[in-house]
Amino acid sequence: MWATARRMASTTRSASSAALTFELVGKCSTTRARASILTLPHGQVNLPIFMPVATQASLKGLTPEQLEATGCRLCLNNTYHLGLKPGQEVLDAVGGAHKFQGWNHNLLTDSGGFQMVSLLKLANVTEEGVRFLSPHDGSPMLLTPEHSMSLQNSIGSDIMMQLDDVLVTTHPDKARMREAMERSVRWLDRCIAAHKYPERQNLFCIIQGGLDLEMRRECCREMVARDTPGIAIGGLSGGEAKDDFCKVVATCTEQLPELKPRYVMGIGYPEDLVVSVALGADMFDCVWPTRTARFGNAITKHGVLNMKREMYAADFGPIEEGCGCQCCRPAGQEGSLGITRAFIHHNAAKETVAAHLLTLHNVWYQLDLMRQAREAIIADQFPAFVKKFFAGLYPDGQSYPSWAVNALRGVGIELLER
Amino acid sequence: MTVDTEPQEPESTAMRFEVVSSALKEGTAAAARVGRLALPGRRPIDTPNFIAVTSRGTLPHVTPDNISKHLQVSGAYFSLEDFVEKSQQNLSRPPPIFSAPTSTNHPTPLYSFTGTPSHITTILAARRLPAVPSPIGNSTKSISVFTNTGFQNLSTTDYLSAASTLEPDITIPLADLTNNSPPGTSPTSKRALRMAERTDEWIADWFSSPLSTSTSTFAPVLPIPYPIQWEYLSRLAEDYIPSSQLSGLAVHDPDIIPDLATHQPSLLSLPLLSLSNPSNPHLILRHIALGTDLFALPLINAVSDAGLALNFTFPAPPSPGSPPLPLAVDLSLPSFSTSVTPLSESCTCYACKSHHKSYIHHLLQAREMLGWTLLQIHNHATMSAFFGGIQRSIKDATFEDERLSFSRVYDSEMPAGVGERPRMRGYQYKSQGGEENAGKKKNKPAWQKELAVEDDKVEVPETDGGRVLQEKGVGEVVKGSGR
Repeated sequence: MWATARRMASTTRSASSAALTFELVGKCSTTRARASILTLPHGQVNLPIFMPVATQASLKGLTPEQLEATGCRLCLNNTYHLGLKPGQEVLDAVGGAHKFQGWNHNLLTDSGGFQMVSLLKLANVTEEGVRFLSPHDGSPMLLTPEHSMSLQNSIGSDIMMQLDDVLVTTHPDKARMREAMERSVRWLDRCIAAHKYPERQNLFCIIQGGLDLEMRRECCREMVARDTPGIAIGGLSGGEAKDDFCKVVATCTEQLPELKPRYVMGIGYPEDLVVSVALGADMFDCVWPTRTARFGNAITKHGVLNMKREMYAADFGPIEEGCGCQCCRPAGQEGSLGITRAFIHHNAAKETVAAHLLTLHNVWYQLDLMRQAREAIIADQFPAFVKKFFAGLYPDGQSYPSWAVNALRGVGIELLER
Repeated sequence: MTVDTEPQEPESTAMRFEVVSSALKEGTAAAARVGRLALPGRRPIDTPNFIAVTSRGTLPHVTPDNISKHLQVSGAYFSLEDFVEKSQQNLSRPPPIFSAPTSTNHPTPLYSFTGTPSHITTILAARRLPAVPSPIGNSTKSISVFTNTGFQNLSTTDYLSAASTLEPDITIPLADLTNNSPPGTSPTSKRALRMAERTDEWIADWFSSPLSTSTSTFAPVLPIPYPIQWEYLSRLAEDYIPSSQLSGLAVHDPDIIPDLATHQPSLLSLPLLSLSNPSNPHLILRHIALGTDLFALPLINAVSDAGLALNFTFPAPPSPGSPPLPLAVDLSLPSFSTSVTPLSESCTCYACKSHHKSYIHHLLQAREMLGWTLLQIHNHATMSAFFGGIQRSIKDATFEDERLSFSRVYDSEMPAGVGERPRMRGYQYKSQGGEENAGKKKNKPAWQKELAVEDDKVEVPETDGGRVLQEKGVGEVVKGSGR
């Protein structure tokens, strides 16, 4: 196999910390894309990777067995939601989120801070933590870095995220942005101090700093100095221009140590994944693929198809021709379900089964896209993969989004050149 | 248990039903019996047994891969009204299911359109089970059906042509039923007489038309007294059993079976499928005692939606004294929040092997769809085991004793289930004007005004996790806040 051969030929390119090993197995010779193996307490995962989001300890109707069958070995839970339901006491009593949901592979949890800000309007950030009014009875509550660590320790996630001071990147107040960045660094120190099980759970830092590249660089320096086992780039996917998003990712990856995983939070559109991989990022998560499935949308190499449209009512083809998911796999192949677009159309937004089937398909699509990217990187054919991917989405070869053209040009891929 | 889809007897094209043993040794009187229903290409069904009830072509909440992997169910009930809605964008488009292409894995349009695994015996009827009452009456040549886009008429010829195209293993021809009378009441004798006359006429039309030889017919037996439908039933026995056109009966009220035994014993050589929608296992046992072979059980779907895990076995365990054991566990109750035991100690289903009460309680609390999926898997497995026990006890001639002891050990009714149900869709119910509950929804609105913050633009959480929040949430109470 390619991966093995290459690994044996090169000198060992790996780094370990108490609960994580990062092994670089391939690098694109044109872009900054990397292929690696991340070994976590619940097994190996191949990077680059898309991580589906099982918000409330369940991936939207799929059994853990079905999720496993898509090839997923690392998914997310949300600390905020698990803190509310089932609550920390239950998690402690049951013995953590893996046992709770019957998932024997890896889990990543966020800090809970993002939901504070995105879901609860009346949240207020102070040095102590995030103050908010309980949505239950309106009483004042406080989420501190220490409490977030305590919750994530109870969850037992393989990767936990620090509590950070999240601002939308488009926030106009530069002083507030600096305060948030510096506070996030101070909170990382508090998280590290409060983390009870560094030998079996990994704490990742989160780079903040909005769209100010200098501030991002400064944040990178501060965070890297604290030597967490992995590094996340946060605050993005909040409505900033895609050009700005790419600049921030590129600026951060340039400065980050090579032998640590880099996680861009909240990213999920296929184009964003492919460009971010080219810019040197390894890990991504987003609720979009599973949420859009419940709205009847299928992600395909030719774009997103809304199965509720009348044109699919009598379309007896698979959701996506050539897709290897259980729904689309050609008849005769093991596990093939022979699901047609017509059946999804028939039940989209009516029976939950249609949502489950589209969720299976969309999760497979996202994981498979990253698998293909990884193979291309290892074979050092990543630029060709990127061109093929964009050609599939924009068959006229003309209307490529300029942000993608620019970002890829920055790492040596000329998308418009056939 | 994984499933082999190999046809049992490829050379045979006819349905076969044989009674293996009966609680009564001699005679033709109605009684519990063990049999085997075998359709070419399908997994044979040992009876008494049940078939799953589909909604819009799918077992609710369970994808086909999970059906094949985790359920022992061998048959499924489909209703034509789930497939024939008029498209609002394209009124002239015929229902797509009629043009679904077939393949080896999906040998008829019904299989290929719905993705039903081919080992499952398919049974097609006109209406959902239970059917939504129609305010419009039936006519001499058609019945009123309820589709996703409203009520429409289904004529006898349309239904025949649909059955010929879809080629289900078993078809139940149209019956003139009174779907709009309040539950528990029987039709007036004048109406009952017309029901029998029309159904009789329709069955004559049905059998005089060419129908695919791969489809077996189960004629409806109406929920009216035997004396009113005796002419119809005797025609079934005298004309269509000798001609081998009649393969079984779809019985709307099994209490008529003793009358059949007395007056038309030859009808009891046929498999009896009950469409009576029993509300608990005691009724199922009673209907088996009368001679019912197969049940379509919408009960299971309803129980799963109610957040209940069935928890009974046959034979029943030794009596615990009083109070009797509950028939199901209500997983929505807070007492299960930290319980890491399976739904039922003796159950070997996927949900019980891989998960515990605490998780399923959480899924119901959080309204995560997986909760209903796991309950469906467990409840269908429990029902399969229940029927397995019944088959063994009939063979061992202990059925009547065990039935009696079952009635002593278990509660008489299913618990109601305090949890919220999955969202109801338009094809599942029709709000009735003037009824007590008119306009009242079963579930609370997903996002309550008083809990929502003022700004309308705030994103509603994907999971409605902000709605019912527990005391102990994320974060800690601010000290000295005077709470």
